[in-house]
Amino acid sequence: MFKLKHIDDLEALSSRLRQKREEFMAVITMCAGTGCQASGARVVVDALDKEMREKGLLKKVRLLVTGCHGFCEQGPIMVIEPGNLFYCHVRPEDINEIVSETIQEGNIVERLLYTDPVSGEKISTERDIPFYRNQQRILLTQNKIVDPRSIEDYIATGGYLSLAKVLAQNTPEAVVVEITASGLRGRGGGGFPTGRKWSLCRAASGDEKYVICNADEGDPGAYMDRSVLEGNPHLVLEGMLIGAWAIGAQQGYVYVRNEYPLAVEHIRLAVKQARQLGLLGDNILGSELCFDVEIARGGGAFVCGESTALMASLEGKVGEPRPKDVHTVEDGLWHKPTCLNNVETWANVPLIIKNGADWYAAQGTEGSKGTKIFALTGKVKNTGLVEVPFGTPLRTIIYDIGGGAPDGGEVKAVQTGGPSGGCLPVDKFDLPVDFDTLAEAGSMVGSGGMVVMDQRTCMVDVAKYFLTFLQDESCGKCVPCRIGIDRMLEIVTDISEGRGRPEQLELLEDLAETVCETSLCALGKTAPNPVLSTLRYFRDEYEAHIEDKRCPAGVCRELIEYVIDAQKCKGCGSCAETCSHGAIKGEEKQPYMIDPQLCRRCGMCIDVCKLEAIKVA
Amino acid sequence: MEQYVELTIDGAKIRAKKGTSVLDTAMEYGICIPHLCHVPTLSDFGACRLCIVEHVLNGRTKITTSCTLNVQEGMVILTNTESIRRLRRNIAELLVAEAPNSRAIQDIAVRCGVKEVRYPFRNKNCVLCGRCVRVCREMWQANALGFIGRGKERHVDFPFGVKPDFCKNCNTCIDLCPMTITPCPGPMKPGEEYLCSKCEGQLMTTEQIPDTCVWCDLGKGFQCARQVQSG
Repeated sequence: MFKLKHIDDLEALSSRLRQKREEFMAVITMCAGTGCQASGARVVVDALDKEMREKGLLKKVRLLVTGCHGFCEQGPIMVIEPGNLFYCHVRPEDINEIVSETIQEGNIVERLLYTDPVSGEKISTERDIPFYRNQQRILLTQNKIVDPRSIEDYIATGGYLSLAKVLAQNTPEAVVVEITASGLRGRGGGGFPTGRKWSLCRAASGDEKYVICNADEGDPGAYMDRSVLEGNPHLVLEGMLIGAWAIGAQQGYVYVRNEYPLAVEHIRLAVKQARQLGLLGDNILGSELCFDVEIARGGGAFVCGESTALMASLEGKVGEPRPKDVHTVEDGLWHKPTCLNNVETWANVPLIIKNGADWYAAQGTEGSKGTKIFALTGKVKNTGLVEVPFGTPLRTIIYDIGGGAPDGGEVKAVQTGGPSGGCLPVDKFDLPVDFDTLAEAGSMVGSGGMVVMDQRTCMVDVAKYFLTFLQDESCGKCVPCRIGIDRMLEIVTDISEGRGRPEQLELLEDLAETVCETSLCALGKTAPNPVLSTLRYFRDEYEAHIEDKRCPAGVCRELIEYVIDAQKCKGCGSCAETCSHGAIKGEEKQPYMIDPQLCRRCGMCIDVCKLEAIKVA
Repeated sequence: MEQYVELTIDGAKIRAKKGTSVLDTAMEYGICIPHLCHVPTLSDFGACRLCIVEHVLNGRTKITTSCTLNVQEGMVILTNTESIRRLRRNIAELLVAEAPNSRAIQDIAVRCGVKEVRYPFRNKNCVLCGRCVRVCREMWQANALGFIGRGKERHVDFPFGVKPDFCKNCNTCIDLCPMTITPCPGPMKPGEEYLCSKCEGQLMTTEQIPDTCVWCDLGKGFQCARQVQSG
């Protein structure tokens, strides 16, 4: 492969590749992100490729296998251009029909269309689907137009031209000024102004500097970074290149968790391709910029998403945070100035350079600019990745995009920001989502997880879940985080198992505040948020557990009892057969009974009862 | 030539050597900040969080450990505010509930004002202060001890659980361990742990004569400058 020696080479290549892509009469875009692969996208792609080969369509129709589109629930997803036709839940056996009907004849295959769960109507085009319509997708749109395994694809869509732009200007200070003006804030959770970080790192003394891309995303239920890194690795690389140029770094690292095999594979491939084209290495595009990137794989510790722990891990030490009284922009990796940003932050950089800081700053709120990807999961009809500008109310995200609770349920709360965030109740749903507003309400934007909960979710149980997670994932170095979280879990477990005492709530709050204020790193400092926010908004549930020994949502096993409704039970006996504890007794054709002493509340009987005769009391 | 900076700790103007920590400076001037994992001559890693102070910067206070915070020109530090005392008491309470059998930890707890423990006692024999691990690594460069595991599983052990032949048998790890100081009235029976009243007597003295450190054998290894002088 030839090397790009000058900016003009890149521009020429870009226009040449673009022309080549315009020759196709149609494009079939298949999502092959991890979500769609799990629902069988790989087999569909193979079948599609074979079918098109057999029918001799490969010259006319372009098969574009991309990264995640975001609507993972409907996978495997196929979008056909022109026409913006959207097919979901595509199976290999549908391929024949899609090719012969839609591609060759131009007809729509009705049964593959998306059915809106709110209105029940079938929607044929992607842009009309409420899930997509209410979003403003800046980063995720990029995912849909490039094949993550091909650098040509990225260059054809204008990739690396932002880098060329800043290299042509030859003023790294101007890049820092531009990023500062855009108001971009760190997407990893802290929300630190990126421009300020860059200028601090640029001003730090030392010739040797590093940039790091933090792709160690570990929040339960969040996968924004994975999708961006998987779907558009070159965008992240370009962001890092621009950052390295602005700061004066020669070496970059991508720290990606090993549990994301596809992301690891794609970023590795991207680095290899960029090196071959001369976009990484010495004198990139004929400029003075010398920069290379290495990939480091994380070993599965949640705490390694914390910047200093990540750097310790990169240095080959145990992944433990260290005190940040001197910031990492001055004393980071190998004690050199280091600029660490999240995947999403890096991915925003080329777009800001391309479209200008004003364009970026025009979106979002006063304090939080631009758009943010959220992973909408839990009890909503449409789950997937949602990209909205900051300032969008929670209500829009949960109801207009998410479609509200499924199965006639009612949304009770939303948990934002993963284990470090908090639960917000329905009456806070009009709050605009931005860094400052959510922090004031006792939660946080965090990395962007959003778990919706309905009436069947017990808030004490939620707090217990996150505490268990954090207790496991705490590195154990400092006392408040290691012992404090453990003690909080002890108290919450007491409450959920019916041993709670009223004075424990006060102790819990006191302890939570101590852990918050005194922990060493951000993991500990934010760990009590799930407890504090549920105590603040759902105190009545805690009180019900303590005073009435009752779990209002019917979740906490020690506080509930299963009963069989004698009116509904027809005595089929299937529940007694399923019960592995021998707790259900009775005679056939007569209503059965549950022995509360033997019952372990596993819930198996509820699942098998066709008459819905078993209830939680 | 030594460079000096001026800072304010609890209202007192203090001249300190550049590069020293706030904790060392405060101790040198007789301002007692409780601490556990800090050992002079060893690196500080901010694990016990007992030495927290308020750092006032641009009108905002930030709570941080004084052992890892280096002195800077014009710095304003508060070591003994209402909120710091409360947070320190809560941390000491967590520690003493883990290891009620250590005289050193009981002493710290009582000096931080813990009068009752609101959690069930656990009777552990290590609080992971890391004194042994650091002295082995930094002073003797033996690296015979280390932390193993994460979170609740974290413990101090030899590599692969076997005493290695590069252990120098210096026993400094044992000397520095806060758990090896004999408990006051002998080991407590599991389930019957309590805070010994002897320490409470000392607490009375600190309350009646503020700003004085109590000289005591209990706090061996935790003395501040004034204690060293009187000892």
